[in-house]
Amino acid sequence: MRIGVMVCHCGNNIAATVDCEAVALAAREFPDVVFATDHMYACSDPGQKTIEQTIRDLKLDGVVVASCSPRMHEVTFRRAVERAGLNRYMFEMANIREHVAWISLDRKRNTEKATDLVRMAVEKLRYDRPLTAKSFEVHKRVLIIGAGVAGIQAALDCAEGGLDVVLVERRQSIGGIMSKLDKTFPTIDCSVCVLGPKMVDVGQHPRITLHTLSEVEELSGYVGNFEVKIRKKSPFVDWTKCTGCGACLEKCPSKKVPDRHNEGICTTTAITIPFPQAIPKRAAIDPTVCLRFTKGKCGVCQKVCPANAVDYDMQDEVLTEKVGAVITATGLDLFDHTKCGEYGGGRYPDVITSLQYERMLSASGPTAGHIKRPSDGAEPKTVVFIACVGSRDRSVDRPYCSTFCCMYTAKQAILTRDHIPDAKAYVFYMDIRACGKGYEEFIRRAQEEYDVQYIRGRVAQVYPTSGPTGGPSGGQLMVRGADTLLGAQVEIAADLVVLAVGAEAAHGAPELAEKLRISCDAYGFFLESHPKLRPVETNTVGIFLAGACQAPKDIPASVAQASAAAGKVLALLSKDKLESDPQIAQVQTIRCIGCGKCERTCPFGAIRMRELRDGSKRAEVVETVCQGCGICSVTCPVRAIQLAHFTDSQLLAEVNALCRTWDETTES
Amino acid sequence: MASDSSANASPDRTPELRAKIAAELEGVDFVLGYGRGFDPLHATPVTVRSEKDLGRLIFDPTCVQNLATSLYGLRGKRLGVVVKGCDSRSVIQLLQERLWERENLVIFGLPCEGVIDLAKLRASMDVASVKAASFIGSPRNGLLRLTLPEGGREVVIEKESAGLLADKCLRCQYPNPLVSDHVIGPETLPQGAQDTYADLAALEKLSTQERFDFWKRQMGRCIRCYACRNACPLCVCKHVCLADSREPHWLSAEATLQEKWLFQVMHALHLAGRCTECGECQRSCPMGIPILLLKRMMNRELKELFNYQAGVSLEAIPPLHTFLMEEDRIKDRGLLW
Amino acid sequence: MSGSATTSLTLGYYPGCSQTGTAAEYDRSSRACCQALGVRLVDVPDWTCCGSTPAHTVDHVLAGALAARNLLQAERIGHDRVATPCPSCLAALRTASQHLAQDVQPDSNAPEDMAPSFRAEVERLLDRPAPLRASAVSVLQVLAEDVGIAAIASAVKKPLTGLRVAPYYGCLLNRPPGLMAFDDPENPTALDRVLTACGATVVDFPFKTECCGAAFGMPRLDIMQRLSARILDMADTCGADVIVVACPLCQMNLDLRRGQVNDHSRRQGGREFSLPAPYFTQLLGLALGLAEADLGLDKLVLDLRPVLEAARAREQKRALEVAAVAAAKTAAKAAAKADGTSGQKPGKPGSEPGPKEDAPCA
Repeated sequence: MRIGVMVCHCGNNIAATVDCEAVALAAREFPDVVFATDHMYACSDPGQKTIEQTIRDLKLDGVVVASCSPRMHEVTFRRAVERAGLNRYMFEMANIREHVAWISLDRKRNTEKATDLVRMAVEKLRYDRPLTAKSFEVHKRVLIIGAGVAGIQAALDCAEGGLDVVLVERRQSIGGIMSKLDKTFPTIDCSVCVLGPKMVDVGQHPRITLHTLSEVEELSGYVGNFEVKIRKKSPFVDWTKCTGCGACLEKCPSKKVPDRHNEGICTTTAITIPFPQAIPKRAAIDPTVCLRFTKGKCGVCQKVCPANAVDYDMQDEVLTEKVGAVITATGLDLFDHTKCGEYGGGRYPDVITSLQYERMLSASGPTAGHIKRPSDGAEPKTVVFIACVGSRDRSVDRPYCSTFCCMYTAKQAILTRDHIPDAKAYVFYMDIRACGKGYEEFIRRAQEEYDVQYIRGRVAQVYPTSGPTGGPSGGQLMVRGADTLLGAQVEIAADLVVLAVGAEAAHGAPELAEKLRISCDAYGFFLESHPKLRPVETNTVGIFLAGACQAPKDIPASVAQASAAAGKVLALLSKDKLESDPQIAQVQTIRCIGCGKCERTCPFGAIRMRELRDGSKRAEVVETVCQGCGICSVTCPVRAIQLAHFTDSQLLAEVNALCRTWDETTES
Repeated sequence: MASDSSANASPDRTPELRAKIAAELEGVDFVLGYGRGFDPLHATPVTVRSEKDLGRLIFDPTCVQNLATSLYGLRGKRLGVVVKGCDSRSVIQLLQERLWERENLVIFGLPCEGVIDLAKLRASMDVASVKAASFIGSPRNGLLRLTLPEGGREVVIEKESAGLLADKCLRCQYPNPLVSDHVIGPETLPQGAQDTYADLAALEKLSTQERFDFWKRQMGRCIRCYACRNACPLCVCKHVCLADSREPHWLSAEATLQEKWLFQVMHALHLAGRCTECGECQRSCPMGIPILLLKRMMNRELKELFNYQAGVSLEAIPPLHTFLMEEDRIKDRGLLW
Repeated sequence: MSGSATTSLTLGYYPGCSQTGTAAEYDRSSRACCQALGVRLVDVPDWTCCGSTPAHTVDHVLAGALAARNLLQAERIGHDRVATPCPSCLAALRTASQHLAQDVQPDSNAPEDMAPSFRAEVERLLDRPAPLRASAVSVLQVLAEDVGIAAIASAVKKPLTGLRVAPYYGCLLNRPPGLMAFDDPENPTALDRVLTACGATVVDFPFKTECCGAAFGMPRLDIMQRLSARILDMADTCGADVIVVACPLCQMNLDLRRGQVNDHSRRQGGREFSLPAPYFTQLLGLALGLAEADLGLDKLVLDLRPVLEAARAREQKRALEVAAVAAAKTAAKAAAKADGTSGQKPGKPGSEPGPKEDAPCA
């Protein structure tokens, strides 16, 4: 074998603490090395040209570059050796920048270590074999899970880019949390007025297939060829006939159903259309509360429906769709405010969540935009906002910042003063986090123009000032807390207390992650592939993240990430065929004993058992599904599975190169 | 069923064993059992193919071998096998790992009160000269009666068998077969002490250098005969063992310390979460190297990390043969990387 | 009412110093209730001070050793669980066993010379091995969890029907949550449930865990007066007949020092408070039908008996009224039937609200 070595200076990044010339000189003595040199910037155009030229001139069969991390430039150099006619896997990289130059100033020992790393790379290269990628067809369709603002944006972007979109939403209407908001910060523009047209676009776009009241049951396959099972829950109304006229809603006798769209501050009917702008605007029956299902009587909606659309015998439907990529946009849920006993949420009717308050502020909400206390319907004159309820609080296992509560609290305080000019608004806060375009200015406006009183400190307790059991009718709530700037206790008698609840991963997010074979953190937020360089990708190729399913995000950030995810999908599916990575598991059938442990451990379902003619079984790798993680390889009791490009022999060659002095040190 | 008498009287169960095996002979290729070996203190595996072989069967505290060792090489047949409590754990492990099919195995289980470790007897006398041996009472509190030549005459001596019990019997928690088709004789109560891993603790008291020296000394004595591997019921690579493989080339044929040592470490790692501590590897070692320590070290880790013990349940999924996003006792994931 | 109350449970019992003096009635009633409910309490032999506040403000190791000694005494007679009525003793004992279990460094600011472990230090002071397993549990927890609310309810002989009680837990009983591991630290309910099982009406009392002023009664009387007055004011506002207490120090501030508290309240232009402040075990004992002498009712500064009497009278009156209304209804029904007109009509209003009682909002 003929190997060439290039040691990169990376300007001064490496050369300052590593003697690159000496490393190159030493490399000339390594077995099979016929050429070794150093270069100021191996990745530069002249650097790459030198590599290509040397391969041609000296008829090299493999190249080692000692420079930065392979995550940085492996692809660059692989392309270079390929241009010169070599297989791209006949290339090895020794990381002497991050692993050597940047972590120590000892030039002598750095040079020794760099030499060792190059020796390892050369030894591995001697065992490398050319590998070729296989190509396969892709479905030019994308599945988007969740139709909040992120899912809607991603769907529209993908559809505009020419992809067919399957959009799945578990609620009856698309729109998500944004459809519940009154105004948005920092512009105070109407939330649903901005979102509404996009929702209509989704409903009408010829490339978007919308499944609401639906959930993903199972995802199988691999990038380009996913197969997804979607359970469409029965609405008990034939949506091809329903016109959304609302006659059934008026006549439904179960009128005491807590209204989910309005966060439970009012009631609705058992058959509902969640809100006027709902897409699709179709009625659905909630069988857990409908008298027809719970008690076996009633049937009014069926009688009054002019389109004869109500069908009590309708069943769930399970659909199968084939898609090439997946975007998860499952969003967030809010922290359960009753977990913080000190604020009395759930016990005192006038302690409400920020989203309940939002519904109250909304002109299309149950109070038509009038702020009314739940206990007696009176207009509150003092409203206290408590920030960081279920955020930055280790005692309730929510140590993270939910990022948007500071801003929406300022918005709600401003709107309070707008709606009730003689009302006082107080905000108890820990720190104000207003990092965004126009955000800090917005907080200033709340404080200066709207005279919102900001008190830096936590609230110790909220308690009713008067009245026995049953809550204070007409009474006030006393909010006792610390003002850490004054170093004093403060007590404020409030008519209404609004808890700025933080974000949690959407209910069921970890279960969905399991179905999609992606990872999530301890709180259920999905993990991106790299926090900085691959923030939209997951570790499962072909599955992307959009919006607050990854971490708490406000609307602009969600929309931006949704468009980013759509861009990734469009780029991925712009090709007719995809190439599979050849660095995957390979079964040596002769060694395999058919015990099936690999099949059981594979997190990607990439191994199946194949029956030989004599009836015995052997493992087989589904090449397009395998992600090359290597778990099967270490599980296999007989080492019958090897990971291509990382075989035992290749790794042993590296270890042996590194440990060649073992005998001398231990047996003396 | 012939439930004669108390647990520690240890009546001869051979007749019952023979009868049970005779009844099953029809449906199997053969039955693996114990027979008398080349001297009164050695048992040896025998195959029972027909009625005439039944007479060779024995069962007493000299039956130390784990007959499950032979099973993997006999795949494809329909067999009967005689097991003690500890051996049954190897069988469970083989079944659980789908290395044998339950329907092709007839298991004759023998509740066991312990077997003797000849190495312990060898320390005080010349075992090879024993002319006859018999056990009186339970091995846990009875006697071993030996007939020895002495200047042309024969003398009879008695030794307390408790002092000769194998180490694994001293900590035995599973004296009764955990899987069987026929149980021969009454079940017995576990009489072993709780395993405190005192042997490991003693080793870990040594400094790193002392421990390194200890293993260097021990491993240096290895002659790479692979008796340990061949005696292991769960070493199933056999013909493709890494010790003999050129691709991947883990070990060279050189008889250096590091090659010997690496082999033993590999052996231990391959058995992590699988080893039932039957002790056959160490028993079969002609050099008396304490290699079971390595396996016990792995088992202790497994117990601490995954609360798992191999070969106890047919349904259990060994922790190293599964993939979980989050392990209860391993905290390596959080918000940050 | 059958044998279900006999739980047959045996625990170690650590009274603590208050229970031999100012809170003798807490001790007496705790023992009586436990006995009635089948919990056998075995006194920790030769018990000594738990360490309490004075020790741990000066020396954590010494405080730990004091508590550990008592746990050791319990372990020696074979009891790993020690019940104590006093929350302060509870905190001291539990802190010691937690620190022993975790074997923490006694003081993170300890001098550089590698402070020895907590256990080693405690053992040095005790001159014998420190306890291994023993830990403490409050009498309330034993009653609410080991005996169980259902068993208490079935053992009640004289329900406190009509008595409105404000459950006051004090600051220590459930907190810090990591140490006490019992009930909700912000809105505890164990006492509520026990009292409800006794037949009392528990008012929604927001100051369950507010500070009573504690030991400030000595150095800064004004603080204690202000804080205790707030609690009594709230209990009164909530319409409680009594405020029920679970801590000897709280009880002292709310009962023995009532005159001082009322003085303060009067000076501030507020009310005077007359509602008694008994221990929860005393009310429980009454409900279980135990003798007043066994519960030490005579030890309370504010007599409980008139309030009980008033509640009983009120309840009787209410019962009579209810009976009268019911009788009137039956009479009306009978009359309607005699009329021969539709017999269903009076029945219908009664049955109609049924399906309507759907999910409440908010």
